[in-house]
Amino acid sequence: MKSNAIVSNKKKAVGFLREWGLILAIILITIVATIIRPAFLSWANMLNILRAYSTIGIASFGMAYAVIGGGMDLSIGSTISLTAVVTMLIVNGATVGTVTPASTALLVLLVGILIGATIGAINGAIIAAVNGKLAESFIITYAMQIVVGAVAQAIVKGHFQAAQYRAGLFKQFGIGFTPVIFMLTTAIIMQYVLVKTKYGRSLYFLGSSMGVAKMSGLKVKKIRFLTHVICGMCAGLAGVIVVARVGSASVLQGQNYELDALVCVAIGGTSLDGGNGSIMRTLLGVMVIGFMMTALNILGVQSNAQLIVRGAIIVLAVALDVLNKSMKLKEVAQ
Amino acid sequence: MTDYILEMHNITKRFPGVVALNDVSFKVKRGEIHALVGENGAGKSTLMKILNGVYQADEGKIVLNGKHTIIRNTTEAKAHGIGLVFQDLNLVNTLSVAENLYINRLAKRHGRIAWKTIFREAQDFIDSLGFNFLATEKIEHLSAAQKQLVEIAKVLALENELIVMDEPTSSLTTTESEILFNIIKNLKQKGVSIIYISHKLEEVFSLSDTTTIIRDGEVIDSGPTKTFSRDQIVEKMVGRSVTTEFPRKACESGELVLKVDNITRKGLVEDISFELHKGEILGFAGLIGSGRTEVAEAIFGAESYDSGVINIRGKKVAIHSTHQAKQEGIGLLTEDRKETGLVLAYNLIWNISITNIDKIKKKYFISEKKEAQLANELSKELNIKTPSLKQYAINLSGGNQQKVVFAKWLFSDVDILILDEPTRGIDVGAKYEIYLLMNRLAEQGKSIILISSELPEVIGMSDRLIVLSGGKKMGELNREEATPEAVMSLAVSN
Repeated sequence: MKSNAIVSNKKKAVGFLREWGLILAIILITIVATIIRPAFLSWANMLNILRAYSTIGIASFGMAYAVIGGGMDLSIGSTISLTAVVTMLIVNGATVGTVTPASTALLVLLVGILIGATIGAINGAIIAAVNGKLAESFIITYAMQIVVGAVAQAIVKGHFQAAQYRAGLFKQFGIGFTPVIFMLTTAIIMQYVLVKTKYGRSLYFLGSSMGVAKMSGLKVKKIRFLTHVICGMCAGLAGVIVVARVGSASVLQGQNYELDALVCVAIGGTSLDGGNGSIMRTLLGVMVIGFMMTALNILGVQSNAQLIVRGAIIVLAVALDVLNKSMKLKEVAQ
Repeated sequence: MTDYILEMHNITKRFPGVVALNDVSFKVKRGEIHALVGENGAGKSTLMKILNGVYQADEGKIVLNGKHTIIRNTTEAKAHGIGLVFQDLNLVNTLSVAENLYINRLAKRHGRIAWKTIFREAQDFIDSLGFNFLATEKIEHLSAAQKQLVEIAKVLALENELIVMDEPTSSLTTTESEILFNIIKNLKQKGVSIIYISHKLEEVFSLSDTTTIIRDGEVIDSGPTKTFSRDQIVEKMVGRSVTTEFPRKACESGELVLKVDNITRKGLVEDISFELHKGEILGFAGLIGSGRTEVAEAIFGAESYDSGVINIRGKKVAIHSTHQAKQEGIGLLTEDRKETGLVLAYNLIWNISITNIDKIKKKYFISEKKEAQLANELSKELNIKTPSLKQYAINLSGGNQQKVVFAKWLFSDVDILILDEPTRGIDVGAKYEIYLLMNRLAEQGKSIILISSELPEVIGMSDRLIVLSGGKKMGELNREEATPEAVMSLAVSN
């Protein structure tokens, strides 16, 4: 009986960490960082973090859909790069004097999302056509990453593009609260779709068992296609916003985004096996990473050491996930 | 040397909230076949898991060969010579039969794996058991029944003194079961003791020397099998008297609902034609691998067919996907509820509503309230035993899981139901409930295709039977013509 009590305590602890760990981590980081550098807990700093991680956030939500559906999308880095360079071309081209017309800002928003949707549609169409094991999305989207990267390269021929505008709606996209509003709106819509629509529910079933999804009469191919389109659209939106935020564009804009997004998704508690997860928790995952990295920066930690910390967090997140699953299985066996 | 190879004394096992085993004593004599029977959830599996070191008993002791033995994990159980054949397969699908047989102890020559020797020895072994597949075949290319035989062979290869078999025939046909029974009898003659767990009482009677009956975590009775009657065992198992006959009554069949002409899937099934009427139960009999499931998959759109015509309610339809089949009013309860029937890690509500999300929408979005309410109605109607519909499917017994799969398809409002082995691996009480349910559905005007490897079941429940063999339709029998002999002679005639 004694060993049972220990197991159940351990289970409770793991369960508690799963439920509140992310918020706890954000609070802990804030406390530690604030003690050493009181400026950490300033309004300006909080807004900075939110803004800096808004584009990773948007990209992560799309990735979360792909992962919940049992797949993955490694092409979002290049998608962001391509969208970024195209956006900058259009914006700079349309800028009169130093002001970008509002219509152009809305146009690039549309074009960016469309570029993402197109790349996602190609990914999705191939994956749906192959309709093989879910791991294949890994290879297919990685190939797309290479192809799209080359297209972006060909468009700007490696040149760095700087913003030629000083004002206008497009600039507004990147300053103040606007990027945060973009991120939060996307999160709310996507979370709602996930839990409240037939598509969302089907996505969970597809991710946990393709066999059950198929034998329940779900449109498996359509769901897979749509998921990659949505993931691409998120990357496209992130590509537009990132240009507005940093005021420049290059083919390296989206570098490592796919991995950063995966990390945020994993830390948010979405199992990489698919079949569970949520957008809101992914958002918390993004915040954990955002707070952590900013804290390390403020505390003057070297960038190499930062990478080590980042790696450690990933391992921790995955270990916790595995532990949680084995706990759940034990619970189930009884 | 004692007479007993295994003695489990006063075993008690508690899990939070329940006593799974209460003071259970269980003894197995050397060289006997000892049947362990009980309903799902009675405690048979827990007892065997304690023997196998998966769980530790809270009280009681295990005596192996007269020696007090502590078994801390499955490796130790193996070291003590306990072999287990489980219902769930533990095979590596992408490896060959031979590799699966000798997975931990591949023969080596000069430090390299001696493939030739391995394959030759494996083939000899398989042949000696009377199984008809190749040692070089990959597991994924084998049928479900053959996989089960590999699982059995794997344990036999270890040459243990004590073997536990948990429902070894649940996916075997009569022919293959016979082969297994001969193997078991041979083992007995060699002095091997066998603990045989089965829901099929015919097997218990024809094989076992001793029978122990467990109910609600306690031993109800134990003694020589011949001292029990079939009805006595059933009564002791379920704690009430149960009718074991099939409740199907002959009925007038209604209008033609489904007409299938010459469905062919190259290499699998050829020119299968049949008709299904409203309120009718049409049986598909035949051995495993005879093409019954393959026909069902084609009609349900899970696999494509090469030629043939499907007419539903007088309208010709080409079915390309499971979604389309569902729109046409066809549902399929698959033979593997754990792999393709349910998501075990989801709750019952989700599992039930997935076939018809449109039904739980309010305007454009899912209403959880409406969903729970509708699922609850079905759960009551089908008498699903669970503390809550929020329970994960994995926590339910086999019979209740199967009822959830029924609920899922009733939720979809389809009127043609294909049931592929609907009572596999579930206990007597739940089986009878499922038969009654099938009757009720037919009365409500649903049309049912029943695929079953249990001959008494498919004969007893069907209004009409078609018999398949080797992918071809061998004949069609009505209720009067369908004797076990008539069905079997058609089933083996190709």
